[in-house]
Amino acid sequence: MLFSVRDLHVSYGNIKAVHGVSFDVEEGEIVTLIGANGAGKSTILNTIAGLQHPTQGEIVYRGNNLARMSAHEIIKRGVVLVPEGRRIFGNLTVYENLRLAGFQLSRAELEERIKRVYSYFPRLEERRNQLGDTLSGGEQQMLAVGRALVTGGDLMLLDEPSMGLAPILVQQIFEILREINRQGKTILLVEQNAHMALKLAHRGYVLETGNIVLAGPSQELVASPEVQRAYLGG
Amino acid sequence: MEFFVQQFLNALQLGSLYALIALGYSMVYGVLLLINFAHGDIFMMGAFFGVFGSITLGLPFVPTLLLSMILTGLLGVTIERVAYKPLRQASRLSVVITALGVGLLLENGLLALTGANPRSYPQDLVTTKVYDLGGVSISNVKIIIIVLAALLFAGLYTIVQRTKWGMAMRAISYDKFAVPLMGVSQDQVISLTFLLGTSLAAAGGILWGVAFPVLNPYMGLRVGWKAFIAAVVGGIGDIRGAAVGGLLLGFIEIFVPAYGKSIGISSTWRDPVAFGLLLIILVVRPTGLFGVARRQKV
Repeated sequence: MLFSVRDLHVSYGNIKAVHGVSFDVEEGEIVTLIGANGAGKSTILNTIAGLQHPTQGEIVYRGNNLARMSAHEIIKRGVVLVPEGRRIFGNLTVYENLRLAGFQLSRAELEERIKRVYSYFPRLEERRNQLGDTLSGGEQQMLAVGRALVTGGDLMLLDEPSMGLAPILVQQIFEILREINRQGKTILLVEQNAHMALKLAHRGYVLETGNIVLAGPSQELVASPEVQRAYLGG
Repeated sequence: MEFFVQQFLNALQLGSLYALIALGYSMVYGVLLLINFAHGDIFMMGAFFGVFGSITLGLPFVPTLLLSMILTGLLGVTIERVAYKPLRQASRLSVVITALGVGLLLENGLLALTGANPRSYPQDLVTTKVYDLGGVSISNVKIIIIVLAALLFAGLYTIVQRTKWGMAMRAISYDKFAVPLMGVSQDQVISLTFLLGTSLAAAGGILWGVAFPVLNPYMGLRVGWKAFIAAVVGGIGDIRGAAVGGLLLGFIEIFVPAYGKSIGISSTWRDPVAFGLLLIILVVRPTGLFGVARRQKV
């Protein structure tokens, strides 16, 4: 098992956001957590990435418990988050954003990975000297994924990469994610866009108010009446 | 004309000194949104470490300068670690009050150690030479101060613009939340910011002592306040703003008394006029000359 979350509880003060969630991700998989706004999806990802600490539970990655580590230690182990809302540094250029993401790398390794990112997203190379603030939403999402690729690691966490993007752009980004996965990256994807997420992912978990209510291979979830009714408008 | 050139150099000298101190206020605000009210006293410590290097150890000018920058830089990093870091999650008011407390501790600690008598700054640190260039007398002290300040600023600007640590500093000032996600330790970036900001203030302290050779533990108060105002006028959080704000304040403070008489303003009006002008700038541009309005992020 590459990655597993066991009985995760997270609270904001007195408000419990996640009530004992457990799930696994195998090496090479794309796994998605779907659910409505406020189901606790982002909280789970932020907790895995170390931006927040669980009140209870374990987050095990390659045999190490990440639950008490700081965000930059978790990144060194190989778990990288593409955060909700992209969080591009608007006062830095595209290239500087990528360079910062490779903070721990040698110069040669860094340039090598940036080159690879430019090959996935030629748009970013065209705009490499533009400030992050001047990019469109789609370009910012490309940059957010690009940064995570530069940082490296084996497990990429993505929080709502489709948010606010036109369907055609969402398809483009998801196509790249599939390609990245084919080349060996394991992906944990959180999405409100259940339709797209289940099309991409091998397996999925359905989250409702901090609990997992359904789990299974994507095709089964797509076919299940609950998912059809609640998330796919079927 | 000679008079003008003379005043121009005086203004550049004073402005460079304000700028060196203003940079530290601006950088710390940029990464922590903290107004480090102890920064003026850090400047004063830099001047005193200069006395330590020059008189106690008998070092010449450049080693004294470097020693003071290193010692003051370490002091700045220690202050951040001990006094500000535990308050990372606390309200901003608590941190500001702590900064004021740190300032009082430095002033009165030094007062207890060195006594209340103002002392003169070591004269042989830089032996003053005055050159006469076509009726304009130029002292080597002014040239050294102006050139050193310019070099230090250029060095800092290069670090901030060209290195990955500088990128991390700029990134933190834009979005603190996302920086750890890049694998960058926020604490290390903050320490570096304090190291750079306080060592520049130390250089300012020594150069101030060379230019205006009186030393006392409270010298950081007045100068610190003025440099802080210069940083705000320039646009706090932006190092170009700190440099421009410092120079601007230097020019106003020198030129108002120098030329004010001819338009009926006596030199006692220097500060009211200087700060009046700065207030007008802030009314027109509330974020300062180089500042941008900060988005509130949730």
